[in-house]
Amino acid sequence: MPRNKVAWRRLVFVILIIASLALLTVSFRESESGPVHSVQQFAAGLVSPLQSWGAKVAKPFQDGYQWFKTLWSAHRRADQLEEELQVLQGEVVKLEEQAEENGRLKGLLDLRDKGTYPDGTDFEVAQVIGKSPSRWQAWVMIDKGSADGLRVDLPVVGATPTAGESLAGKGLVGKVTQVFEHTAMVLLITDSGSSVAAKIQGSRAEGIIEGSVSGSLIMDYVDRDIEVNPKLVIVSSGYGGVYPADIPIGIVANVGEEDVNIYKEIEVQAFVDFRVLEEVMVLILPQE
Amino acid sequence: MGSKQLIAVGKAALLLVVAIALQTLLVSRVSVLGVTADLFLIFTVVVAISRGSMDGAIFGFVAGVVADVVFVQPLGIRALIYVLTGYVLGMIVLRFATVSPWTVLLMAAGASLFAQFAFGLFQYVIGPRSGFLTMLGVQVLPEAVLDALVAVPVYVLLVRIRVIPLPRVEAAAGRSGAE
Repeated sequence: MPRNKVAWRRLVFVILIIASLALLTVSFRESESGPVHSVQQFAAGLVSPLQSWGAKVAKPFQDGYQWFKTLWSAHRRADQLEEELQVLQGEVVKLEEQAEENGRLKGLLDLRDKGTYPDGTDFEVAQVIGKSPSRWQAWVMIDKGSADGLRVDLPVVGATPTAGESLAGKGLVGKVTQVFEHTAMVLLITDSGSSVAAKIQGSRAEGIIEGSVSGSLIMDYVDRDIEVNPKLVIVSSGYGGVYPADIPIGIVANVGEEDVNIYKEIEVQAFVDFRVLEEVMVLILPQE
Repeated sequence: MGSKQLIAVGKAALLLVVAIALQTLLVSRVSVLGVTADLFLIFTVVVAISRGSMDGAIFGFVAGVVADVVFVQPLGIRALIYVLTGYVLGMIVLRFATVSPWTVLLMAAGASLFAQFAFGLFQYVIGPRSGFLTMLGVQVLPEAVLDALVAVPVYVLLVRIRVIPLPRVEAAAGRSGAE
């Protein structure tokens, strides 16, 4: 191979490396409205109809696969659901008692009775049309965007089919992190960069639920002195400003107490089965 | 630019369009071992093997930028990883006398391992915690296996339908044998 050809090849390689690093630097340093982000958003907008169409085409096949999978594990799940039913029946009795108590208190605390979501909250149901390509990140792409009133940091809840292996199947999914005209990216609470301020019902425990690359949820920073029992329901606490209070997240699966750790570390079983997420609901909170 | 080069550029563009379509429509919805194959990386590997380090690096750069757009990532991260992948694989393939499917399998697995480690390192640098051994088990190794298994039929098919040429080393060996 001629020497000048080798030199040319190396020069091209170096130029490409520099171009990549320059793109990466600009991508991080410029604002969301900068030219590189604008080009990326425009290009992503071109791909989104393809993703949307693909989701529709793939859905019957995914449903078929899910049906076979469900059939296969039906017996095991029936036993599991029987146990969970007993736990939930206990929860229902407890909640009914609390509801009666609430009803009485409502008369006195009328002004503070806001319901589950803040007043003026609007809801937008969206289809999941794409998912993160690897477990390094956990996000989904939905088919609603700025044209539907979505904006960054809006909370997203979801429900998984009853065929899934989750308990109640309904709960917090994540928050909107990027918005395009007709699509938006939702960062799941299972993402390792996600954190949600949460509290455990039936105890005074509060903490932060963090995702992890393995997809599990861990509630950290829980005071060691507070007793936490398995199967208690965990909801958002409302602190942090993104998620409203009292959105169900999951149940206490396991309570870890290491001698060296000043906090309890609680393993959380999410209500939502993120593997089979098909539809979500974006809570369009009123702008302050 | 000669007509041969124009045809080569056209084929590369076609490969990218096919990669976008297949990745968004099909591949990203088929989860095997808990992961999905990365067609942009696989095509970069295939191009680097068949056309050498410079073409591999250029294709890797463009495929990386496109992948960053499709996967909504910070622009440049995959471009950087795929440029390195394409260039290094193109250099390595020169050491082989022939390129068999086993060679493609091993090179794709190696490229996928490198890409996953590089991407993991990037993730670690920008913040979120990630357990190394956990990710090795649930993402890096399954992804390498899947990418390698997908790369072989993709390579064979693309050579068969003449979208990519036989690797230069193989072609050279074939010519010298004939002479």
